[in-house]
Amino acid sequence: MALTAEDLSALRRQRLLSLAFAFPVSFMVTAIARLVFRYRLPPDIARRRAELWALLDRHDGPLIWAPNHLTLIDSFLIYWAVFPLSRALDDRRVPWSTPEYTNYYRLGGPLQSAFLRGLLYLCRCIPFLRGGEDAASAAWREKAFEKCAHILREGGAVFVFPEAGRARSGWLEPERPKDFLGRLALEVPKAKFLCVYLRSERQFGSTAIPPRGDSVRVVWDLLEGARPGEANPRDVSQRLFDRLAELQEEWWKGSAMPKNCGGNDVVDLQSPLLRENFSDDLTQADPEWLDRHLTPRERAYLDAQGPAALFATFWRFFCAKEAAHKALARAGFVVPRGAFREIEVDLFRRKASHGPTGLRLDLRFTDDDEDKLHALAVLRGGYIGDEATEGDVLWRVAAVPPGQSPGAFVRDLALELAASSNDEIGSPSRLALLEEDGLPSVLWRGKPQDWSLSLSHSGRYAAASFMIS
Amino acid sequence: MAFMRKQAVVEATDLNAITPEEAEKRIIAGVKKYATNEANFAKADGNTPYLGHVVGMGIESSNLADITMSIERQFLTKMTAKVPAAPGSADFKLGPGELGKLRILDGQDALAATPGLSVKMLMDLGHMPKNDSYLGRVVSFAYVMACGDGWKMADALKKMAAKAEKLQGSERDEAKANLKTLAAQATDYDALLADPAKLAAAKQKTFANDKAALEALQNELTLALDKIKGISADGDAAALAKHRGEEAEIRTRLKMSAAKLRVSQEVAEAAGRRRPIEEAKVAEVRKAIADAVALAGTLS
Repeated sequence: MALTAEDLSALRRQRLLSLAFAFPVSFMVTAIARLVFRYRLPPDIARRRAELWALLDRHDGPLIWAPNHLTLIDSFLIYWAVFPLSRALDDRRVPWSTPEYTNYYRLGGPLQSAFLRGLLYLCRCIPFLRGGEDAASAAWREKAFEKCAHILREGGAVFVFPEAGRARSGWLEPERPKDFLGRLALEVPKAKFLCVYLRSERQFGSTAIPPRGDSVRVVWDLLEGARPGEANPRDVSQRLFDRLAELQEEWWKGSAMPKNCGGNDVVDLQSPLLRENFSDDLTQADPEWLDRHLTPRERAYLDAQGPAALFATFWRFFCAKEAAHKALARAGFVVPRGAFREIEVDLFRRKASHGPTGLRLDLRFTDDDEDKLHALAVLRGGYIGDEATEGDVLWRVAAVPPGQSPGAFVRDLALELAASSNDEIGSPSRLALLEEDGLPSVLWRGKPQDWSLSLSHSGRYAAASFMIS
Repeated sequence: MAFMRKQAVVEATDLNAITPEEAEKRIIAGVKKYATNEANFAKADGNTPYLGHVVGMGIESSNLADITMSIERQFLTKMTAKVPAAPGSADFKLGPGELGKLRILDGQDALAATPGLSVKMLMDLGHMPKNDSYLGRVVSFAYVMACGDGWKMADALKKMAAKAEKLQGSERDEAKANLKTLAAQATDYDALLADPAKLAAAKQKTFANDKAALEALQNELTLALDKIKGISADGDAAALAKHRGEEAEIRTRLKMSAAKLRVSQEVAEAAGRRRPIEEAKVAEVRKAIADAVALAGTLS
């Protein structure tokens, strides 16, 4: 879709007006971040900015800002962190953004809405429409893409979140790249990516704004855009996502929050205690008991599966919720005992959502047969994996030998699994288990490992899992 | 519908006609079939945790709802009339009415980790009269959890010391390094248990996380309301309906979040208050920790 003369003239007008107001707008962004929200940047930000700008000054071409996305004010925070006031008039470097239309352009009453629209206009925003599969929405997206490509061809800068939306788990997942930026880079091969990973120190997941008064830490790098010979947008995007994932790892190295947050759960489907609330043929269940575990949406899904699948489907929900509960506890969010409905599982999409925080976890079922079921849940720290791609979680399910305590057996199983997965360890005797706040960790050479160890046992089975990312 | 549990017919008793001790006894008997640690169950009292294997009854999480439902089946209450939780609210709570089936509503059992705490829950909700002498013998939820962690630590340390003793060479050296860390952790935890103020401060972590989550949700709600305001002005009915749905979902999540915050706040506050029953339990677990640390220290 080619841009019309009117489109181009509108872009030129917006650029000139934004340039005229660049200094007061930049000053306002800084003042709001520091004085209203009381956010703080690291003490060495001026030095790090200078290093980055030295790199940027050496690249005399277009720039695609490609940051991670967790809050609705990320673009302002990133601009504040990267752009010194002294550069506010550097026309080519001031980026054009692509905020989601429904999130920003129809907010509040007429006055608030008009003010925001004005501010976004001066901040060089090109409204984007992510939702909608109809022709009008697709055309809107295409036009926004063309505007970005035009700005880059002119040597300018655009700011696009590669993940498209906010990461609901709070984790940028490189295994699921989006093609938009790959396409853009191929369209303008001279462009480079400015990869940015910004997060406040207590930013647990995706929220409207970071917690007030928080310290904001940022890592960045300049990455080449489309390489010679690269023709597939996915290849370019994958490279970009991989670099962002590396920056994410770097950011987490300096964080007090635990990075790896995964959990597991095993269910012995033949255990008589699991059949207690079902009819003898397992085709019906006590509705009151079901309602204590399942949300209305989960109940609807369960009912739609039919009586023959009732028992297995219920325990799938349960197993997934328990695994998610352990992953959440690792992140510091303890689900109160019996509050099964705080976690809602979508068995079709293999996702679990935590009501109080909105955090979304990935799920995977393994060791899934008539006898038992094992589920893994990952909130952050690595990829859960699937049938085609090996993930960052290792697990083992085993039968508890008769007469042995399942609690003791699963601990030994976990140490054997960890030892056998790492040549350097070799023997489980070199490891020990430590429990803190009810969460187990592996001790190796006297140090607790951030492996997000998870233990579970049910009836005749025990299972352990941990993350190797 | 023939449920397996129908094999055991339970005759429900009016909670106002029995003592708390009798209610406790019945609650313990009611969960017998779910207890997988028979030895601990055999000596269970009002302060024995339902969950956990070291000092608990070994009930598995898959039977958590069964504990609550077992209590519901065994007792009758006069708190049966549904009354709005707040004026104009669709949520309800139970008020005085005709004698009928006991109902424990969503979230009300969050702190009922032992039979004694289950009885306390029944008293707090008005299903049976408050009995201060009985409550004086019930360990608070905060201390059930804090002591439970201590027991687990002592148990892990003892087991690790026993294992390390049998090892030789470099394996023994590494095991000793691990043992040293475990012993240091146990010693730190012992110091935490010794001081209620420090324990309360440590429990603030979960409270702070939950508070941050609630604040984040409140921001999301403000945003959703702003969107609704903006869309209302545009007259876009479909978008308005979508955002009203979003608002309702956030409000449900806010309710969950507020309930969760109340639990963590209560735990944080209760950790700072210590009555003689908690002192006694803390003393028991501190002795177990001290013994385990001493045992670990004997390994040369």
